[in-house]
Amino acid sequence: MIKRNSFKKIGTFMVFGAPATVMFFAVIIIPFLVGLVLTLTNWDVRTQDSTYVGLSNYISVFNDKVFLTQLWFTMKYVFFTVLIANACAFIIALILTSGLKGEKWIRTGFFTPNLIGGIVLGYLWATLFSQVFPYLGKKYGWALFETSWLTSTDTGFWALVIATAWQLTGYLMIIYIAGFAGVPKDIIEAASIDGTGYFKMIQKIIIPLAVPAIVVCVFISISRAFLTYDINLALTKGGPFNSTELASYHIVQKAFLSNQYGIGQAEAIVLFAVVAFFALTQSYLLKRQEVEA
Amino acid sequence: MKKQLMYLMLSVLLVFLVACSNTNNSPAGSTSNSGNETNSSSEVPAKSNEKVKISFFNTSAEVNTIFEDLMKEYETVNPNVTIELIPTPVGGAQLEKFQSLLVSNQAATIANLDAGTILQYKEYFLDLESEKAKYEEYTMPGSVEAALLDGQFLGIPWTAQGYGLLYNKRVVEEAIGETFDPKSIQTRQDLEALFETISAKGIAPVLIHGADWSIGAHYLGLAYSLQSEDVEVNKQFIKDLQDGTVNLAENTAFTGLMDTFDLLAKHNLRKADPLVADINQDSLDFATGKSAFYFMGDWAWSIVGTLEGRDEEYGIIPVPISNNPADFGNTQVAYSQPKLMAIDKSSSTPEQQQAAKDFLEWMLTSESGQKAIVEKMGLSMPYKDVKAVSPNVMSNAIAEFVSEGKTINIGVINYLPQDYWAKTGASMQKYLTNYIDRDGLITEVSDYWKSTK
Repeated sequence: MIKRNSFKKIGTFMVFGAPATVMFFAVIIIPFLVGLVLTLTNWDVRTQDSTYVGLSNYISVFNDKVFLTQLWFTMKYVFFTVLIANACAFIIALILTSGLKGEKWIRTGFFTPNLIGGIVLGYLWATLFSQVFPYLGKKYGWALFETSWLTSTDTGFWALVIATAWQLTGYLMIIYIAGFAGVPKDIIEAASIDGTGYFKMIQKIIIPLAVPAIVVCVFISISRAFLTYDINLALTKGGPFNSTELASYHIVQKAFLSNQYGIGQAEAIVLFAVVAFFALTQSYLLKRQEVEA
Repeated sequence: MKKQLMYLMLSVLLVFLVACSNTNNSPAGSTSNSGNETNSSSEVPAKSNEKVKISFFNTSAEVNTIFEDLMKEYETVNPNVTIELIPTPVGGAQLEKFQSLLVSNQAATIANLDAGTILQYKEYFLDLESEKAKYEEYTMPGSVEAALLDGQFLGIPWTAQGYGLLYNKRVVEEAIGETFDPKSIQTRQDLEALFETISAKGIAPVLIHGADWSIGAHYLGLAYSLQSEDVEVNKQFIKDLQDGTVNLAENTAFTGLMDTFDLLAKHNLRKADPLVADINQDSLDFATGKSAFYFMGDWAWSIVGTLEGRDEEYGIIPVPISNNPADFGNTQVAYSQPKLMAIDKSSSTPEQQQAAKDFLEWMLTSESGQKAIVEKMGLSMPYKDVKAVSPNVMSNAIAEFVSEGKTINIGVINYLPQDYWAKTGASMQKYLTNYIDRDGLITEVSDYWKSTK
């Protein structure tokens, strides 16, 4: 009897778990391990030479001032993207759960940018920033828009943040809406009978009860923002003069353009560690704020 | 009942897994098949009936469909050959795709690549020494010579490009009020005087496309090619830069080139915002007369030629780098064979290689091949008696310089590291936007070269 049961369990696992596990190993775990090995060699596609070089690739990473500046640049970018995307998504979700007329259509509208690929989206914003805004800026004399935002470091940074936040907002909004839907109606009713104001309600009831949604949203936005590549490629191409290269972009350039695969891969591992650190720390800290209704 | 369902699902899963592993094996399977083919064909000399499948990796992405049409045409004449195009996106991840094919042992039989890329991967390509004499017959004198990489004939030249200061004939002639003779501009002073005249009419004299490849590879790249007419001397110059034994600040070709750059930048249509670098917009503005000159090459025709309401006549002048007309570069335009057709030897069978050679010869010498390349792609071919007339007035203008031997051989760029244009292009962009001055530029460029030692 026990034997039959455990056989059944294995069978169930094979049916439901095995395909996913095989895929997960094939496309995530194995490439990751191969990548780790790659960082210990000086592999080059041109010569197919791969001599073991120890940790020297990692030493070069930490001596590569450009990469470190870009990692710092990426962190600033992530900070503002996560902040803006989550704030916007939170506010929009609040408005769109308050019983507005046609809110389903508006939700769809906000979600649509997510369905557009990053490359298309990047070109779209590039046209806006380098053609449409300067045109309007010149016509109406808005100094802020007279030159393209993509040709100076500071405005290029904000252009990236705005475009990414715009794309992320719709996605996060859906999660927040789901989170708010989970807030029990009776608590809100009880609070409003007790005379709680709107902002007090958000601060004391909705936010604490929506913490799981916030944790998920911040986690998703941190990891996605850190790994941004497509928008970076299509919007600024790392320019002007490589000053808006995000970490992923720099890694791809290092490996495929400069042919330094080992160093590029080592940088990817460093980036992985940084992302894992921030994403896990925030979810650990925020999870402690969770309360039961 | 439940148990049966479970077994059913398990067997489905097994089939799925087996199917997966089968597809994983298939590349290996096909190589062993082709290995068999090799064996059988060596036993049976009459192999003309055997089907050969070859692939074509194309980095001239803007003309993918024209190549495809050519392949279809060739397949109807030679039913034993099937050719598959492996396209790459315009300006997209071309090298990445190429590398992944190499590493997975699925390299394309024919690769249309930048000459520099072929040199970097020369271990993978077939030495075409046996074809060399034939192509020396087909092509213009010096064409095969210029395509040699480290002395080896690894890629067949098929297209030639030139660049310099393109001009819009109508705009220039309206500004100066008479017929414009491009030969009248042989020094920087001549150019400056012309720019002042055009500027006085309220038209921007020149347009600099602010992309890193344009001002990094094409403009600054001239500095390496202008050292001498001999590519070997230019290669030595790069080595000296890497060793740090040459000072750019004291190099007359470099300083002259940059003085001219200052002149161009001063009269640039995009002066307010030089790095926008939208190739379509820039070409449109030049073709409709918003600027008189345009630092670009004859490939701009692929955009300009399709525009509505554009001007008809264009020409080209060299970038003058000094005030002495006799200096090298003042009367010569930069000219190169940027792409070569190479044949893979890493994972292709001798049959495939032979089929590739035959196809290339047909494409480059037959009338339909030349018509497609010259008329449809708008490229100029460095071949004798080309059986087609190019609609590209820009490359026709360059052809005049070529026929007079007034060209700068920019072959040295084939020997440069692959990222030089991105890295030094970034420095040039900083210089163009006054983010760094001349000293800053020299420091950054010199540091880059030292780092590539």
